[in-house]
Amino acid sequence: MRGRNFEGFAVGALIACAVLWSLATSGIEPSRLLRAGPRIVEFLGRMFPPDPGVTEEILKGAAETLRIAVLGTLGAVILSVPLGVLAAETVTPPALHRPTRTLLALIRAVPLILVAMLMVSAVGLGPLAGIVAVAFHATGMLAKFYAEAIDGAARPPVAALESAGAGPLLRLRHAVWPQTAPVIARDTIFRFELNLRESLILGIVGAGGIGFHIQTYVRSFQYDKAASVTLAVVLMVAAIEVVNARVRRYFS
Amino acid sequence: MSAAVEIGDLSFAHAGADRPALERVRLTVRPGETVALLGPSGAGKTTLLGLVDGRLRGWRGRVSVLGQTLDPDRAPPRRTRADTGFVFQEYALVERATALRNALNGRLGRMPFPAALLGRTPARDMDAARAALADCGIADLAERRVDGLSSGQRQRTAIARCLAQEPRLILADEPVSNLDPARAVEILTLLNRVARARGAAVIFSSHQPDFARNFADRAVGMRNGRIVFDAPADALREDAESALYRDADDTAPSRLQLVT
Repeated sequence: MRGRNFEGFAVGALIACAVLWSLATSGIEPSRLLRAGPRIVEFLGRMFPPDPGVTEEILKGAAETLRIAVLGTLGAVILSVPLGVLAAETVTPPALHRPTRTLLALIRAVPLILVAMLMVSAVGLGPLAGIVAVAFHATGMLAKFYAEAIDGAARPPVAALESAGAGPLLRLRHAVWPQTAPVIARDTIFRFELNLRESLILGIVGAGGIGFHIQTYVRSFQYDKAASVTLAVVLMVAAIEVVNARVRRYFS
Repeated sequence: MSAAVEIGDLSFAHAGADRPALERVRLTVRPGETVALLGPSGAGKTTLLGLVDGRLRGWRGRVSVLGQTLDPDRAPPRRTRADTGFVFQEYALVERATALRNALNGRLGRMPFPAALLGRTPARDMDAARAALADCGIADLAERRVDGLSSGQRQRTAIARCLAQEPRLILADEPVSNLDPARAVEILTLLNRVARARGAAVIFSSHQPDFARNFADRAVGMRNGRIVFDAPADALREDAESALYRDADDTAPSRLQLVT
């Protein structure tokens, strides 16, 4: 019992230290927080009414974001098929699937925005950087999902094909693939939705898409135009959700 | 002609098991012969069939299947696998595929690899799969998905997949234990008929001595990984069942108790 009490005290002290340290070293001035209210109201006021004159930029930016998401997802699928097979414990020996899983975990640990910044410096400004960044970032999750789908397939049909003389590739093609196809389709659509959402902000670091305009207009104090773009982004996300809910119902 | 199956002094233990699944098993099956494997659950029937099918590694002893000596550390050659058909208790079908596609899966060991991978089935293999479905009385179900079929129809599909291999040896692991008695007799009659028509040897396992009497030439009884009797099926005594299944200690029932 005494051990338990001590543990509780230690955890409490640790949390208190973390909060106090953060408060003391962030240089927070309460007066600035109090003045923020009117400023936000003013800021929102300048955003209203949204400027409808930027429709063309919005449409072009949205189309570019869509292209980044489509091609980024395609790239992720192409990378995830072999990596997913390599990461599946039911088809790949431990000496190979363990390091593959570690690699995927490392890829997942890198935030998309960081990958995008690196890609912008590697391939230059524009949608190519966004596409490569999305493909790389999404592979970390998608290949893991594919591996789980493969491992979730029923084993008896696989054994039956082995018994008939089919090698590993034929077993994947004719016993595993028919079972996992709906799961893989669902996972891919889900990842496409995430890619589309995440690529909306890629423009902020210069990796192409609609986010570029938000950044430009905010920086040049054209808040009414920024508002129009923001509204467009909100509408796109909502539309993605509606479409996806339908598609997912179709595949379940 | 060499034996369909020749096993000498075979022992095997599953990884991590404290006692062997098979102990000093000796068994010979002639070409075209039908053998029933009887015995309670855990007797080693499934292990023996899976081992003859070439799916287990690390056994000791001699196993020769259709003239090919198996290597305990290596998968058997593709030809031997294709020549050996297997019928599973739980059908082991690809549920989301059609009956025809499942029958075609039995041809994968015989098709040229690129055609098999791309699903471009050569006419000869297509004919064999359709003929197998027809032999099993389900030609009209060819385009139906398996997940919409009854359990009897599924086992017919599974037998069609096995027949599509054009096997010289058919191994069937409790092929009818999921079916009601009428359906069970139907399926065993079918298996018997198609095997005889093609001259294939059959080893099927079952819990029921009746099936051995009616469908097999020979009955082989197993208990605790050992073969405890091996006799013509019509010599099997009425009380063989109780003798084989009584939950006695590990002493094997004597041969005299089981066969006349």
